[in-house]
Amino acid sequence: MARRATAIQALKKYGPLVRRLWWRALAIGFVATVLVGGYFAFVATKEFEGRRWDIPAQVYAAPLELYAGRALSADDLVAELKRLGYREDPRLPRPGTFRLSLGRMELATRGFAFAGDTEPERVVSLAFVGGRIATLRDARGERTAIVRLNPLLIGSLFPSHGEDRLIVAPDEIPQLLTDTLKAVEDRRFDSHFGVDPIAVLRASFVNVKSGEIREGASTLTQQLVRSYYLTNQRSGFAAWWRKIREAFMAVALEIRYEKTDLLHAYVNEIYLGQDGARAIHGFGLASQFYFGKPLAELEVHELAMLVAVVRGPTYYDPRRHPERALARRDFVLQRMVDEGLADNETVQAAAERDLGLIAGNRRGSMQSAFLGLVRRQLGADYARDDLERTGLVVLSTLDPAVQAAAERALGTGIETLGKNSADLEGAVIVTSPQTGEVRALVGGRDASFEGFNRALDARRQIGSLIKPAVYLAALESGRYTLASIVDDAPIVVQLDRRNTWAPSNFDNEAHGLVPLMRALAESYNMATVRLGLDVGLEPIAATLTRLGLEKQPTLYPSMLLGALALTPIEVTQIYNTLANGGFRVPLRTVRSVIAEDGELKQRYAIQIAQAADAGAVYAINRALVQVMERGTGRTVDRLLPQDLVVAGKTGTSDDLRDSWFAGFTNDHLIVAWVGADDNRPTGLTGSAGAGRVWAQLLKSLEAASYEAPRPADVDEHWVDYLTGDPTAERCPDAVLVPMPATADFPRAFGCNGETGLGARFRSWFDYGR
Amino acid sequence: MSCAARSALLRATLLAAFAATAGCSSLGVAPTRPAPTPAPAPPETSPLPAPTEPPPVALPPSLSRPAPEPGRDVAPRRPQSDATAASGALLEQSRAQRAAGSLPAARATLERALRLDPNNPEVWIELGELELQTGNLTQATAMARKALTLTGRDVRLATRAERLLRAAE
Repeated sequence: MARRATAIQALKKYGPLVRRLWWRALAIGFVATVLVGGYFAFVATKEFEGRRWDIPAQVYAAPLELYAGRALSADDLVAELKRLGYREDPRLPRPGTFRLSLGRMELATRGFAFAGDTEPERVVSLAFVGGRIATLRDARGERTAIVRLNPLLIGSLFPSHGEDRLIVAPDEIPQLLTDTLKAVEDRRFDSHFGVDPIAVLRASFVNVKSGEIREGASTLTQQLVRSYYLTNQRSGFAAWWRKIREAFMAVALEIRYEKTDLLHAYVNEIYLGQDGARAIHGFGLASQFYFGKPLAELEVHELAMLVAVVRGPTYYDPRRHPERALARRDFVLQRMVDEGLADNETVQAAAERDLGLIAGNRRGSMQSAFLGLVRRQLGADYARDDLERTGLVVLSTLDPAVQAAAERALGTGIETLGKNSADLEGAVIVTSPQTGEVRALVGGRDASFEGFNRALDARRQIGSLIKPAVYLAALESGRYTLASIVDDAPIVVQLDRRNTWAPSNFDNEAHGLVPLMRALAESYNMATVRLGLDVGLEPIAATLTRLGLEKQPTLYPSMLLGALALTPIEVTQIYNTLANGGFRVPLRTVRSVIAEDGELKQRYAIQIAQAADAGAVYAINRALVQVMERGTGRTVDRLLPQDLVVAGKTGTSDDLRDSWFAGFTNDHLIVAWVGADDNRPTGLTGSAGAGRVWAQLLKSLEAASYEAPRPADVDEHWVDYLTGDPTAERCPDAVLVPMPATADFPRAFGCNGETGLGARFRSWFDYGR
Repeated sequence: MSCAARSALLRATLLAAFAATAGCSSLGVAPTRPAPTPAPAPPETSPLPAPTEPPPVALPPSLSRPAPEPGRDVAPRRPQSDATAASGALLEQSRAQRAAGSLPAARATLERALRLDPNNPEVWIELGELELQTGNLTQATAMARKALTLTGRDVRLATRAERLLRAAE
């Protein structure tokens, strides 16, 4: 009682003070709200205004060229079209569709434009005969010389653990997408002021009633704000604080900007999936990521799936939880009907379709090893930030079909190696020798693994792969031809006062006096060391440098047998120069770079330099053909079609730790390496390991035979492969050996080196046969 | 026709005359072989070669140089590409671009042609001519040399490549 009296007294006494404080608190609160709100509004609008999305450079493959005569079967073309998200539709209703009938295809191409290089949309008709495009005609039936498909987006140079996106312009966004987004996520988007109190109430009610979260209360604007600035704190005070900031900022954006601007930002901003370390943002990239085609081409069921994923890209991940994604997609489809966005019939048909995702999760990272080289090569000219943030477009040299074949060949090739194959690794690189363009690059068995890129970073002993350089230096010295004789007999090399080195052959035999061509084809070690020491280590190192080796090898005699650790890409550069007839072309992965505004930033043109005498290289390449026909590549050659002529070389390091194979036809150079990451012996020679991968890949590329035009200053003579003696064409073991026209090589008329009159006389009978 | 018959007759006569000639057992048996010869050869069964000096070994001295060299005729000529028509169309396109003064576009088109038809000397020559036009003599020279390795017996193209080479050097 007394206490109560005291309270009343206190009220009387302090009443005016409390009332004053109350008003003051209210005033402070108001001012604070205005200030905080104003601050958030300021931050939000400032950020939005100056918003530059960090757009990583988007990398495209080389466009596929279609022309009459090209070796490309209908099946291969369909595979290529599927990769590009083309759809089979007999009506050819729009670009990106095709119609297939027996031996024929009608195709509505998409067309593209990159910095002045334009390819129009076209409807063409192709006829296939014997695995080739026999004719190519336009819509009016006229012959057309050549048509390009739009290049495949293969990936982007996104920052590690970063956002990746592909911006779509407002006019590229389907109306149905934005309508459906509103219908599903934010029904009153067009009328609310950034937050939607009705939705909050409604969502609470629905969610409580159904016992699960079916509807969210966040407006699209709030979602946009959250994605822009805020982390996703889900509980406690931080969550409330986030909600408040979100609301303030959303309202601020609404006051300041048009609904269409906000919607456009939303479509490009929102998080829609994860690909390893790469966060897929925006509908443009999500469309490529899930369906492999541009947003504008998506069908109703595909749009519905993307909208379904918005709610929870992890929970509704269509690749990991297809049943959840499917259920949510059908819910979205139903909303389309409810809101009158699509008629019942369309939606029924769409609901019948499966999710229609492109193969696996591999796409985004499938060419990660290739992208590694792209990044490295562009790194010479561009700052990291420019590559990761400024929206460059990179037109690369990758051939998706060759890349897929190379990945397959490495995977299955190693599997066939049997017992020890479990922890074997490998790398494969494919180039076009004359242009130096890298068409495929595989950095390990698991091509989607973004880890150690063996094609670029595995530094391994190259073994006999070095020998062509040794023999090339010998020919270039002018003192040898491939018919010159070298002694394959035991040799002891004095390294210094105490140490000697006695190399032996792989078969531990000595083969005596043999011509250079045979010594190279059979990869005789003792002959090569004897030859190399005579030519000199320095000229050989100089030859390697001219062929494209950037580092300076240590001049030990063991270098002659390939005691030299190189990466597959370094080996590829050297062999590319050989395959290109002695002309060095720097290996390239990038044709051009285009800025975000569409202006050409840089073209990487073909640069060639003559690195070696064309005649000597021609001769070495003919010896590399003999490697396949008679030498250490025989077993590899047997895996190929019988009449296919190829040039190749095996490489095996000490104790069989590294298995290499490098070889080429006119159009393809392939370098393959197989070994163990821990460098243990694998028990595989070059032909038994990498050779298999190599052959399998070459076979699947349906390559044409290697044939090089003979340089004018080169003659060819029939030589006995075993002895190096002149011989007649009809004799056993006769091989054509190229030599400088200045070399006086005797003409033989008999089979055992006979150059005499009798043999000559007999040889008359053989003329004209 | 008559020539073939005559040579057959001649050959038969001579065959009879020299039937007893010892030495080459493969005479008259060896089929004409395509070149280069992919013979499945077991290399280890070779007869011992005549002893020669260890390397370096100079070429054996010339005895006589036969007039018609068999090697000449069997050597591969310029491979006919499947892409000849397509690369021809691109060559035309690049010429039009060049005539219109758009050298970068002409260059890009030529590189496109090169990818389809990399052993076509004409493409290399025109690329080299573009390089010459833009003052890049090193590239023009290298491309002329590259073209010359590919012209084979095409005198017209060889002459063009040599002209480019002279202009660039």
